[in-house]
Amino acid sequence: MDVAIRTEGLTKDYGEGHGLFDLDLEVGVGEVFGYLGPNGAGKTTTIRLLMDMVRPTRGRAEIFGVDCHAHPVEVKRVVGYLPGEMPQWGGLRGRDVVAYVGGLRGGVDSARVSSLAERLDLDLGRRYREYSSGNKRKLGLVLALMHPSRLLALDEPTNGLDPLIQQEFYRLVEEAAAGGCTVFLSSHVLSEMERACQRVGILRQGRLVQVARLDELHHLRYHRLEADFGGEVPLELVRALPGVEDVAVEDHHLSCAVRGGFGPLLEVLGRGQVLNLVTHEPTLEEVFLAVFREEAEPAAAPAGKAR
Amino acid sequence: MTAVPAASSPPASLAGGRSRDGIVTMVRYGLRTHRWALVGVAFLGFVSPYASGSTYLAAAGTAAARATFGRQTIALGPQLAYLIPLPLRPDTVAGYLWWKGLTWLTLVFAAWGLAAATGLIRNEEERGLLETWLASPLGRARLVLARVAAFTLAAAGAVVITGLGTAAGVASGKASIGFGSLVEQGLPLLGMTLVAFGVGLVAAQLATTRRGALGLGAAVLLAVYVLDAVARVNPGLDGVAAISPFHLTDLTTAVVPGGRFDGGATLALYVTAAVLIGLAVAALRERDLMAGLLRRRVTATPVVRLPSKNPLLRLPVLRNLWQQRLGLVGWVVGTMVGAALIVSLARGTGKLLASVSGFNRFVQAAGTNSAETAVVSSVWLSIAALIVAAYAINQTSHWAGDDAEGRLEMEIAQPVPRWAVVAERCATLIVGALLMAALGSLVTAAVAPGQGVHLDTGRLLVATGLLALLALTFGAVGALVIARLPRVAVPVLGVVAVASFYVPLLAPLFGWPSWALNLSLFHLYGTPLTTGVYWTGLWVMVAIVVVGFGGAMAAMRVREVGR
Repeated sequence: MDVAIRTEGLTKDYGEGHGLFDLDLEVGVGEVFGYLGPNGAGKTTTIRLLMDMVRPTRGRAEIFGVDCHAHPVEVKRVVGYLPGEMPQWGGLRGRDVVAYVGGLRGGVDSARVSSLAERLDLDLGRRYREYSSGNKRKLGLVLALMHPSRLLALDEPTNGLDPLIQQEFYRLVEEAAAGGCTVFLSSHVLSEMERACQRVGILRQGRLVQVARLDELHHLRYHRLEADFGGEVPLELVRALPGVEDVAVEDHHLSCAVRGGFGPLLEVLGRGQVLNLVTHEPTLEEVFLAVFREEAEPAAAPAGKAR
Repeated sequence: MTAVPAASSPPASLAGGRSRDGIVTMVRYGLRTHRWALVGVAFLGFVSPYASGSTYLAAAGTAAARATFGRQTIALGPQLAYLIPLPLRPDTVAGYLWWKGLTWLTLVFAAWGLAAATGLIRNEEERGLLETWLASPLGRARLVLARVAAFTLAAAGAVVITGLGTAAGVASGKASIGFGSLVEQGLPLLGMTLVAFGVGLVAAQLATTRRGALGLGAAVLLAVYVLDAVARVNPGLDGVAAISPFHLTDLTTAVVPGGRFDGGATLALYVTAAVLIGLAVAALRERDLMAGLLRRRVTATPVVRLPSKNPLLRLPVLRNLWQQRLGLVGWVVGTMVGAALIVSLARGTGKLLASVSGFNRFVQAAGTNSAETAVVSSVWLSIAALIVAAYAINQTSHWAGDDAEGRLEMEIAQPVPRWAVVAERCATLIVGALLMAALGSLVTAAVAPGQGVHLDTGRLLVATGLLALLALTFGAVGALVIARLPRVAVPVLGVVAVASFYVPLLAPLFGWPSWALNLSLFHLYGTPLTTGVYWTGLWVMVAIVVVGFGGAMAAMRVREVGR
């Protein structure tokens, strides 16, 4: 695999447990990689380290084989960047901001800007301070996408965008990836990952806890089962089954989480009088929450209680 | 059964204790936002009268010398009447202190009031803070009144410290002053400050940006200031000048022996302030957030999808100057007007200086035999040096803003070497300062012959270039501080500027060694128009520029960026 982003032991220690720790990560060329984690997990710190905004406490990061810290200008030539928080441009109009930032790169492709503004429905004639938060985000996307880039580093790109524009953004990401561009996007919105990414890295308290393809992530999934009984619930038998967790009974209603096959459970349930039986697959969000379950509750089942 | 409260009556927790808590919180927050400005204004408020009082004995140590000095100052007064009131009893330390050390502070306090009020409304509105405050159960009127209370407390603190500086200055001149006189002198100063604050509050309701509000408020204050200045030299205009709060402030001269406290004028100041604040509160209650009271009708404009074609936005240095174009025009025009005003007084002031033996030292210190040339060299170029220093501090404030508001992050995210960001800032400062200095000198060269001043063109060019170098020196200190502590860069530069202003005044008084003068950046500038280049000063400035900007470039390479 040709590597677009490689980090080795990348650490930014802000003290008191804050920051990013020992990040070993590889993102392939042309890949759309989702970087998932709750607020404060270290997503923005990672992107800022890649962009050489902040300096690592230890470890290293490379983009297309170029050290981000040693040769930041070379790196930035091929990266389109969307910061997590948009800068304040005050009274400048959107078109002025585009020309200004474009000028820093030596020029701007007007046709590309026009196309992006059209697709994102952004009026560049208005003053920046008059923009809503969504329009500010759209301008940020125009600035990130207006140059031909080999890598897009997008920090929470859909924040504040309405659903229609979000769909347009996903199409832009797909087009970029189809053109060979690598996309590294951070988010705490799981549906965004499902919609746009091929692989996902899950970050928690500054540490990468899992990297997986979306379909691999689905293997982590379990099913919830709920059943209504006409008589006694065979509770102890159910609890004794391997792979069955989070068992709860209220009146004649049973609910539990099931990993692996259903065969043994159905056999046990068949010993009672089942009136109604429903199973459903947990969302990625439930999986996500399971991964992020507090260590203080290790015995708890990975299921819908937390929803 | 529990009774359901009527919808019209607010919950007790909102109407009672929590609302009071909100007001207290707002007052505390307001005091916090004023703390740095309070330190700066209070510092000036103490040092200015104290320095004037302490230098008095050196200028006039004996009774006879005081009488002579008083006559000379009375004669000089009308020449400066456009800037400060006419002197009163300058043969006494308290009279001289009032004239030289206190009167100009009215402008400083007014500027503070205006800036604080426009910042309170417009700046916080632009940053989304006002929306947050208004989302609390505080109400618009209470919000503004809480902040008015906070500013009044801060301004009163600065006035008290000015009173302490006055008492210390008078004492250092071997005289004494009563507590009542200090209070009477402080009351109109506080009133004037609150009027300026009120003007700023009203302007902030009409304009839609902080800059616009500041400009509108400054225009109003400038107009009433000029009215007062014109009335000083045209006593027939006294009646009209009564509408100027500056005039009402000048009417109280309580610290001057035989001076008076004008209670009516002082009361008028407070009533004016109250009316302005009331108008601002009413306007804020009527208007929409993020909009002015007077809204332009929204007209349909075609949607723009293309980037600006303005070539200036794409070119280094020019892109920064273009963004600051309105401010830069203000700086340049201000410099030109200042040059025209001061140089046009050269003949009259020069004649006076030549006729009074006590001022011969001033002319000799300027390195010339021509009193008129001395006025241009020592008075105008000193003021020009202050203006370019203020411009450099303003630029430093922009740089700090780039950092705090995320623009630096966006700039560094582009393929631009970090040192280039510092280099571009440096170049922008040079171009801006050169523009101000060059056009100021052009006006000087145009006006001077009419005043009988014949300037050496070569030396005028050198003086102009050195002004840009002086601005760069201040900028270098600012760039270096910003590299480590961006938030305190402007206050630090303010202290450097004030210290630079006072070191040459205090050094002879306290017998400091001659090298100590070189601690003043203004002293390093010298008097190039009359005595040529002060080479030591030149090299020290060059060294500061190299170390400052070099250090800033090195620090920028390693520092972390991001909010």
